[in-house]
Amino acid sequence: MDGIPLIMKYTLPAEELYKPFWEGLKRGEVLGTRCKKCGTLYFPPQRDCPKCMVSDMEWVDVGKSGELMTYSVVEQKPQGFENFDRYTIGIAKTEKGVYLMCWVIGAPKVGAKVSLTSDGHRVLCEVKA
Amino acid sequence: MNRKVGVIGVGMSKFGRRNDVTVRELAWEAVKEAFEDAGLTQQDIQLTVIGSTAYRGTEIYPAPPVSEYCGLVGKSPLRVEAACATGSSAMFTAVNAVASGMADIVLVIGIDKMTEVDTSTSLAIGGRGGNYYWEFHMYGTTFPTYYALYATRHMALFGTTEEDMALAAVKAHKYASYNEKAHFRNRITVEDVLKSRVISWPIKLLDSSPISDGAAAAIIASEERIRELKIDTPIWVRGMGYSSDTSYIAARGEWVGLKAAKDAAYMSYKMSGYTPHDIEYATVHDCFTIAEIMAYEDLGFVEKGKGAVLLREGQTEKDGKVAVNLFGGLKAKGHPLGATGVAMVYEVVKQLREEAGPVQHSFKNYVALTHNVGGTGHYAFVGIYSR
Repeated sequence: MDGIPLIMKYTLPAEELYKPFWEGLKRGEVLGTRCKKCGTLYFPPQRDCPKCMVSDMEWVDVGKSGELMTYSVVEQKPQGFENFDRYTIGIAKTEKGVYLMCWVIGAPKVGAKVSLTSDGHRVLCEVKA
Repeated sequence: MNRKVGVIGVGMSKFGRRNDVTVRELAWEAVKEAFEDAGLTQQDIQLTVIGSTAYRGTEIYPAPPVSEYCGLVGKSPLRVEAACATGSSAMFTAVNAVASGMADIVLVIGIDKMTEVDTSTSLAIGGRGGNYYWEFHMYGTTFPTYYALYATRHMALFGTTEEDMALAAVKAHKYASYNEKAHFRNRITVEDVLKSRVISWPIKLLDSSPISDGAAAAIIASEERIRELKIDTPIWVRGMGYSSDTSYIAARGEWVGLKAAKDAAYMSYKMSGYTPHDIEYATVHDCFTIAEIMAYEDLGFVEKGKGAVLLREGQTEKDGKVAVNLFGGLKAKGHPLGATGVAMVYEVVKQLREEAGPVQHSFKNYVALTHNVGGTGHYAFVGIYSR
């Protein structure tokens, strides 16, 4: 028999909580936060530095280019992504040494040089020719 | 540990798509067997620890209905969770309760009923197995994707191939064919794996463990009570290591092994006094085939990058240098998340007691290990057991 469906609708603090990050993405920039006291760079950005126990952070650009460390091509998509074509998820290391997740544009290869861009919703890494 | 702790009874349900039962009857299959195995009843139990991720089932708070059905009301004050390592987190909690002197006899139940939701929903839940906000929400990760990121890099750095990974699946299915409780009992070939549908390249359907329903149970007790009860085949807990890693997988800086598993193994070896060379039998967390290869390396059975060599040479087969997953592994025995870590204890207990029938490994010193990973190395537990 069918069970009673459990429909979960979520409300996130999303845009307000990390507003500069989302605004940066819309400009094609990827921003993280840096603790003004100890200099630790956080990506994903954090509002608080657990090392210093302080919350005095500044927003910084994490890089414009980098290297593709690894990737996977998602063929069986999860609920919520059914309407996308197949996509490639990668991990890139930026020239500033920050590691981040991205969607890869172009033919992926471990070690390939990539440029960081954005579609306004996520980080894109475009494989350089 | 303040007090020596042993396993005195184990049970396991049939794993698979279990639409014939709810979570309550499923638990009882394992619990009843564990009671009969130990020669104990509910009255002997002081505490029950229930490990369940529960998210894919209708009973999202499974501990009360399970404990009621099994006659354990009043003895199950908690449910614990550590993703795919939930079963080991339950064992860890129970062992601590006995080792500390809080309790003398504890029942551990690991259970999950995962097939009550459809596959797309299940993938969306698994895809949250890292960091919802910074991964799933933005990139549509699935759980196979996380391990695929490791597989791609392992292939690029060490020349590990899709054929190598397929060998782990072929081995798992071969041994599961002897296990009446396994989810899959069919044998497969390397070609079957390579031709199977791509889920998240390089991971294909037959590189992946199934979405399973199942339960496992273990009864553990203090040395003093074991002597009083005159249990003649206790299996002693020698080491129990744990660790964790970042939720955001990119932050780890390298993707060819699971640091949490390596650290947990180090802790467990140190606590037990054993080394990787002493381990004669291991259950490793082969949720995907690449995970088995990385496990060999992370546990120190072989150096980093050489995991596939052990598979190619058959060194992890029955009566090999270190036999691995002779009950079929997560890949073919099945992987009901909460049950898996406890089913690993079931497996090493059966092996160490020499009750494993056609898949009985030949031991010299009777030392075995359990390697249970939660998420993609977000948690790891490594247990070492001996006769």
